[in-house]
Amino acid sequence: MPILGKASPEDMNLHPMHYQWAYDLYNTAVRNTWFPHEIALKEDLEDWNKMTEDERHAVKFTMAFFNPAELIVNRSIALGIYPYLKSPEAHLYLAKQMWEEANHCVAFEYVLETFPFDREKIFNVHLETPSMKAKEEYVMKYLKRMTEETLNIETPEGKKDFIRNLVATNIVMEGIWFYSGFMVVLSFRQRNQLRNFGSMIDWVLRDESLHLKFGIQLLQTALEENPELLTEEFANEIKSIIVEGVNIETAYNKDLFPNGILGLNADYVNQYVQYVADRRLTELGLPKEYNVTNPAKWMSTATDVLELVNFFEQQNTKYEVDSGHTKKPQT
Amino acid sequence: MELTITKRDGVKEVFNADRINRSIERAALGLMDPISKVTQIATDTHVTIYDGITTEELDLATINAAVQNIKEDSDYDRIATRLLLKTVYKHVLGDYGEDPAQLEKVHKEHFADYVKKGIENKIFDERMEKNFDLPRLSAALDISRDELFIYAGLSTLLNRYSVKDINQKAFETPQYCFMRVAMGNAYNEKDPTEWAIKFYEKMSRHEYIAGGSTNIHAGTPSPALSNCFLLEIHDNMEHISKSVMDVMMLSKASGGLGASITKLRAMGSPLSSNNTTSSGPTPFAKIIDVAIRAIMRGGKKKGALCFYMENWHYDFPEFIEWKHNAGDDHMRMRTADTAAYISDEFMKRLEAKADWYMFDPKETKDLNELYGKAFSARYNEYIKMAEEGKLRMWKKVPTTEQWRAILVALQTTSHPWITFKDPINLRALNNNTGTIHMSNLCTEICLPQDKENIAVCNLASINIAAHLKKKQIDWQKLEESARLAIRQLDNLIDINVLPVAEARKSDQENRAIGLGVMGFSDAIEQLGIPYDSPHAYDFTDKIFEFISYMAIDESANLAQERGSYTHFSGSGWSQGMVPVDTMARLEEERGVAIETDKKSKQNWLDWDSLRAKVKNGMRNATLMAVAPNANIGLVAGTTPGIDPRFAQVFSRNKISGKYLDINHNLVTELKNMNLWDMVKTKIIELQGDISSITEIPAHIRDIYKTSFSVSPYAFIEVAARAQKWVDQALSRNMYLDDRDMEKTMDIYTAAWRKGVKTTYYLHMKPRHTAEQSTVAVNKSAKLGKIGFASVFKKEEAVTGNQELVSVAAEVVKEEVIEKEQEQIIDQKKAFTLPVEPVKVEPIKVEPLKQISEPVFAKVQTQLPTPHAEGQHYQEKIIDGKTYRVHMPTDPQEQFLCDGCQ
Repeated sequence: MPILGKASPEDMNLHPMHYQWAYDLYNTAVRNTWFPHEIALKEDLEDWNKMTEDERHAVKFTMAFFNPAELIVNRSIALGIYPYLKSPEAHLYLAKQMWEEANHCVAFEYVLETFPFDREKIFNVHLETPSMKAKEEYVMKYLKRMTEETLNIETPEGKKDFIRNLVATNIVMEGIWFYSGFMVVLSFRQRNQLRNFGSMIDWVLRDESLHLKFGIQLLQTALEENPELLTEEFANEIKSIIVEGVNIETAYNKDLFPNGILGLNADYVNQYVQYVADRRLTELGLPKEYNVTNPAKWMSTATDVLELVNFFEQQNTKYEVDSGHTKKPQT
Repeated sequence: MELTITKRDGVKEVFNADRINRSIERAALGLMDPISKVTQIATDTHVTIYDGITTEELDLATINAAVQNIKEDSDYDRIATRLLLKTVYKHVLGDYGEDPAQLEKVHKEHFADYVKKGIENKIFDERMEKNFDLPRLSAALDISRDELFIYAGLSTLLNRYSVKDINQKAFETPQYCFMRVAMGNAYNEKDPTEWAIKFYEKMSRHEYIAGGSTNIHAGTPSPALSNCFLLEIHDNMEHISKSVMDVMMLSKASGGLGASITKLRAMGSPLSSNNTTSSGPTPFAKIIDVAIRAIMRGGKKKGALCFYMENWHYDFPEFIEWKHNAGDDHMRMRTADTAAYISDEFMKRLEAKADWYMFDPKETKDLNELYGKAFSARYNEYIKMAEEGKLRMWKKVPTTEQWRAILVALQTTSHPWITFKDPINLRALNNNTGTIHMSNLCTEICLPQDKENIAVCNLASINIAAHLKKKQIDWQKLEESARLAIRQLDNLIDINVLPVAEARKSDQENRAIGLGVMGFSDAIEQLGIPYDSPHAYDFTDKIFEFISYMAIDESANLAQERGSYTHFSGSGWSQGMVPVDTMARLEEERGVAIETDKKSKQNWLDWDSLRAKVKNGMRNATLMAVAPNANIGLVAGTTPGIDPRFAQVFSRNKISGKYLDINHNLVTELKNMNLWDMVKTKIIELQGDISSITEIPAHIRDIYKTSFSVSPYAFIEVAARAQKWVDQALSRNMYLDDRDMEKTMDIYTAAWRKGVKTTYYLHMKPRHTAEQSTVAVNKSAKLGKIGFASVFKKEEAVTGNQELVSVAAEVVKEEVIEKEQEQIIDQKKAFTLPVEPVKVEPIKVEPLKQISEPVFAKVQTQLPTPHAEGQHYQEKIIDGKTYRVHMPTDPQEQFLCDGCQ
């Protein structure tokens, strides 16, 4: 069974399983389930009161982007990815991913409701800020081709559109933009501020890492099964989609940090974006574009190593549901 | 772009890079290759600052730049520590120039002012000046001991324990802080100055560190110095309400709490006041859960409490769901922890595959007070009554089913912790005043409580690693530390001010203290002993037997000097018993042998004369308890409690911040072997697990395991050996890699069979973690996928583009994967060594070991007997002739040979 195509009645059977990896990722995702109310934000509010205007702006701006962005990803999955896959195990995974995007949206909602924000203002930022609007338009541009100007997924052009949209949503939006946003939020925790919000971002980041794993494997599988897509021209086009994403993000970061705050400024974040973009390019088998180093070395503490939590001080972000239930009781 | 700096007075000046560089240079004094390190930090600082940054932020930026390089070289830790110290000195002592001699002088001179100013501002008790010879104390201050700190330790001390001024800025230097704690525990000595100096000498060298509350409150006007409180909640509305208040008051005094709710009647149990029924313990627990959220303990820690329930309670099945993340929020505890208090009867029924009965405590009031054989007898009577229809509320389940349900909850939510009622009570020497109904927040305290008594414990911990000298324990120094710590803890009780009468009463009448141990893993690493080896278990015996002996002897000495504690008469001590003697009682009541080596490993200690001495009087009801020491362990820069290294590199998420913890012992070993630069990135990539890095010699990999690759049976064995000598208990963190339920059940059953009193958190290894940021990651390469690279491969012949060729090289097949890794290493080098790239050999990586089997194999707890086989030589053929090559006969010696080569 090819992974791309229109689902036929036979594709409604989970067995025989063709794409075990998708099913495995589904199971991992299910164990990863968390809920926003597990995070208590009281102490973060105290931090908020001590923060400078530039710091607050960065947090609000990031929230203003993430809240709608999670819903845009969902739309892209529902309209641009899910309908064009035949594999039911991939459908299972995407259903869980969509719930996770919804959960992230609600999680940001929970933060928005808890912090003393002018909510109306924040909700409107993404409609009024050109650099943020550009990001949304970028994703919608590719999605539109999957919806309104529908091409046949069975044709090479249709498949190319599928890949373009997948790259825009999964690689650029989730795999580059979100990663840079997470780094910005986690940098506050690195200075011992917004620790609980940081824990929530840990959870979101863990989910997003899975989304990216799935997206990259889906993309690789689609390319492998459709070698006719592997042309230099198309490869260069994909690269340019990613580079375009980085350029849009550069403008956005200038608005995120008009002045800079302790430990972060627009150039610093842009360098991180470029570093992550190079990683994504390499993962797709494309040559690097930027060849820059990772400025945020502290991310090794934030995300790269296992975390030992002093339980009665912090929310542990490493719990899993459904552990241990692998065997039936023998009584 | 020209940068400006905003100074403290608001004046702007042009950023002067040279000035920053020089201050970093001073902090790098005496380290290897300082220039490249200074350049690195200066460069990293520069990218993070912005126009208009304040001088204070600039200091922070420099410190953060140093901190983020710690993973490269532990020297950066030293630099970060010194930079942080400098900000404290500047703030507390004012401008001292840059001369170290001047700093030392000013630091001593300012001390008297510091004490006086503290009293003036009402932060300090007047006795801080009245009772002491301040010039003598300031002469004893040694600022060079600040060099002992690691960055995370100093930062923890400053954040959590140091006294702050009204603007939340440092009011004291670290050495002042230690001296304040020493003084605050010496008021009542005949010569307070002399004793304060003795205590200071110990703490400032990190040989022992006082418990958290003591560090926070010592020297202050109404010092609440105790760490742990254990209270029972009784089955009536007045007492429940009073308990909520007590919990809040005690939390405010910065104590952690244990609260038993076993006595609360079950849901559905009738109320006598009218004809309605009770809502059970859950809603009342929820009130407390919410109450502790509101409290910041001592303004520095969030309230913390652990609920205890015996597992025969009718509502126990609901209790084990309390920590689930889903479900009705009113039935979930978001802040409080939970622990199951399990009887021998239950464990024996588990082995017999019998049923387990649950009752309403309203109908079975006495069960909560009974233990050992008496509990079993009464429990069986209630079963009979139930089956005969004489009880209103009861239910039964297969015992295995409840055990499984407890452990499934433990795996998914890390709660309830497993604690054992019978070993706690049967091995106690202090429960002549009543039953011990629970342990405490960290499962190391075993003290009785009732309506009139809220049990109180006062803690300090000895740092074993600070007692090493030339690969040996300095036993004399260890004795001195144990004796001084006991004296300091006993002093504390007469200075302590507690907000609740029942706690005051219990504190004064029992004088319970808990001397603990930390740096266990740190020490055995330096001695070359793996955590999961029989040598480590024997070492545990040695250490704990010794400290136990000295602690008991010192308390007996204090009794002669100051009198026995109120309830001494009738206690186990008064019958000439010492903790190890109670093993027999546990075996006798349990009717099952305790599977732990009972022998002494310090044959020269004269326990018999100590037994005789103890009979004449003891100053304290209890002496030892091994707390988790998550914070004071960090302050001392060592491993907490008896825990293994969590990983060789990991992060700690704490109230004071998120820290990277890197094992300095390992870094030193690897640097000595010239391996560090080669493997450091790999260690982060493997999340601190070095077991698969073949460049590192096998014996080093055996010593430096992560807590998930050490056998869980080793955790139990270490706890069991230590528990022999400890009169209270130990916070035994558990770590599991494997989610197999049968194995988990067996591990916890083994803990019971070995006589362990309590276990603490269960840490499960996460199966999925976020994508790493600072090491090279290529998900496609891991899958063996090349994506668009094949496109460029086709073009390669035509274009000959070098860059593209290297990308195309990332091909699927195995032999190419090696190349892949080579490339990853190269990429990493690009940013980890920005100064001068060094040619590094590619790292060979073994496939990750399937650890579940070897890890879960039961550990060998005894050393093999030397000469057991009669043959202690090997036959080797050299040049065609057979030679007998003799091996060392002492297995310990053989081991050390291996360990130190």
